[in-house]
Amino acid sequence: MKRYEVIVIGAGPAGLSAAAEAAKKGMKVAVFDENAGPGGQLFKQIHKFFGSRANNARMRGFKIGRKLLKEAEENGVEVFLNAVVTGIFEEKEVMVRIDDTVHHYKADYIVIATGAAENMVPFKGWDKPGVMGAGASQALMHLQGVRPGRKVLVVGSGNVGLIVAFQICQVGCDLVAVLDAAPRVGGYGVHASKITRTGVPFLTSHTIIEAKGDDHVESAVIAEVDDHFTPIPGTEKEIEVDTVLLAVGLTPMNQLASNAGCRVEYQEQNGRLSPVTIVDEYGETTMSGIYCCGDSAKETAEGASSAMLQGKIAAEHIAADAGYTTEADAEEKAEEYRKTLDQLSGGMFDVKNKGRMDISTTEEGYPISQSLLRHGYITAEELKGFPAASYEADGPHPVIECTQNIPCNPCRDVCPAGLIHVAEDITRIPEIDYSQKCTNCGMCVTNCPGQAIFIVDNDYEPGYATVSLPYEFLPYPEKGDKGKALDRSGTPVCDAEIVSVRTARAMDNTAFLTMKVPAEFADTARFFRKG
Amino acid sequence: MDSDMRIWEHPVLGKYEKYEEPKVLHFTLDGKDMTGYEGDSVAAALKAAGVMTHRYTAKNHRPRGIFCAIGRCTDCVMIVNGQPNVRTCITPLEEGMELRTQYGVQTKEEWEAENDEEI
Ligand SMILES: Cc1cc2nc3c(=O)[nH]c(=O)nc-3n(C[C@H](O)[C@H](O)[C@H](O)COP(=O)(O)OP(=O)(O)OC[C@H]3O[C@@H](n4cnc5c(N)ncnc54)[C@H](O)[C@@H]3O)c2cc1C
Ligand code: FES
Repeated sequence: MKRYEVIVIGAGPAGLSAAAEAAKKGMKVAVFDENAGPGGQLFKQIHKFFGSRANNARMRGFKIGRKLLKEAEENGVEVFLNAVVTGIFEEKEVMVRIDDTVHHYKADYIVIATGAAENMVPFKGWDKPGVMGAGASQALMHLQGVRPGRKVLVVGSGNVGLIVAFQICQVGCDLVAVLDAAPRVGGYGVHASKITRTGVPFLTSHTIIEAKGDDHVESAVIAEVDDHFTPIPGTEKEIEVDTVLLAVGLTPMNQLASNAGCRVEYQEQNGRLSPVTIVDEYGETTMSGIYCCGDSAKETAEGASSAMLQGKIAAEHIAADAGYTTEADAEEKAEEYRKTLDQLSGGMFDVKNKGRMDISTTEEGYPISQSLLRHGYITAEELKGFPAASYEADGPHPVIECTQNIPCNPCRDVCPAGLIHVAEDITRIPEIDYSQKCTNCGMCVTNCPGQAIFIVDNDYEPGYATVSLPYEFLPYPEKGDKGKALDRSGTPVCDAEIVSVRTARAMDNTAFLTMKVPAEFADTARFFRKG
Repeated sequence: MDSDMRIWEHPVLGKYEKYEEPKVLHFTLDGKDMTGYEGDSVAAALKAAGVMTHRYTAKNHRPRGIFCAIGRCTDCVMIVNGQPNVRTCITPLEEGMELRTQYGVQTKEEWEAENDEEI
């Protein structure tokens, strides 16, 4: 039987990081993943990630995946794809199915990094062709180059739902609405806002009652719900769609852990029970030598950056245990990683705040936009008073519409003029030093993962201002194109003309679009539609 | 007829490798001639051709199609070259493939013959 010192199950960010780190220390490592491509969830993620430079923020997910794979392979990790691990047995024997053949391997240490699986919600007709998981639509769009449908309804407004909904718009599908049974948008406001300004409505306090159609989905019946999530009779509406995407949460995959005898406990999370593998501060389960990290070890997914750090912590502990590094060194490294982990937590979307409805101000004391929570966009009125949204400055300057505490700071890192500040605690909202001069380089606009920064020039021409915005749709408008400017809710508010379209390598496929609008619309015009 | 379901160019991903010099593959679905491209999964080729129903469940004849697209749920299985229960979302399309909509675990004719009932 073939032996490895470390066998890692799952080639997502947690697994690949653990593997690379252990291999760097000199260990012989194999990674098995059931998919045809490496990267786990990252493989399908094409948006720019949140976080700080230390964890690849503003890099697109699939590129982070490639980087991790390269690092693992360069350090001698063997990565097996199309390889499903079907069981962990005594003495750390691992059973793997590769191309219909079953193989057995032995390991000294096992790292379970199997990620999470998408949840379902039952409703009439949920099993009809046309109802699918949000992840399925990503596989079709990004791996297969095929649209999941023509007219699409997204159910669930957590970050996954919001990101997928935006991607649906990017491939030219007609996104009819995003709905959520909760009275507020579940994910980051900035993710919602990039959808609403294109004209897509958010229906909070709404649910899907039925997917209708003979052989496949032809329409969906939706309704408003009351405080107990019960549909309110008489509010039903039938909308024409051929695709319903479900983005209603993730559940950690820990069948392997529980089969192996590791303790798994059910913990309540938002009213539903989630299986959680019990681990210590290094990610070791109750079975000695078996570790669990990343999304598979959590009650809720915390993101790729946390997954990577946890993978590295596990690897340090394994390497120390096997004598490839000293305990003191391992502990020092682990402590460093934990510090970065801490940096990523906090803010209103932190796991410990999940489901809380009573957060009404930011940590700095600014009132949180109720419109943003309810409808997916902030109003111009609510934005006033935020420290990076002033229109007073002369010439071009950024207006940063980042109004919730989320762990992210690329805007600060990319600004060559040193105008933008984010505190050490990266969940703090950005501030602008208006004494510095903006060079109108567009880096903040195009690199903000939330696409929440605009550069406004009030003095463009007498009576006219320009608003520059991030743009990730095809075809790009051209200089001279005329059309309408839409406000944050997606309502056309005034005529607009494109005065420049800039692209650059450093903007990484986000165009920097500048439109000219009547001066009085400088604080409302946020999107451009040709014609 | 399939072009409007294909993403010929993506604002972030650019042009997909398989569309650079697309190679047409011919296959049949329940005897009907269809085409897809090299690099398609069977499920993607069907989706692009507007086919949503892959199979009907054994008991209640409920239609099923793509649900997870990563080989986990088995909703998308069909009879491929005579073999039932093939997960079409993770099976690459090949020239000359014969696909049959799956009824329970059989073809429509087999199911009707065995159950003495028309669908
Ligand atoms: C739409 C979407 C958007 C996201 N956006 C962000 C973001 O902006 N920033 C951020 O930080 N995070 C984001 N995330 C979250 C991030 O992708 C995950 O938290 C991260 O990928 C978790 O890493 P992981 O290694 O734990 O699991 P995964 O990435 O899920 O990897 C697990 C791997 O294990 C494989 N596997 C499972 N079981 C087996 C088995 N038995 N045998 C073999 N292989 C197996 C799986 O197929 C998978 O490839 C997003 C997620 C989604 C879905
Ligand atoms: S769609 Fe789930 S296995 Fe193919």
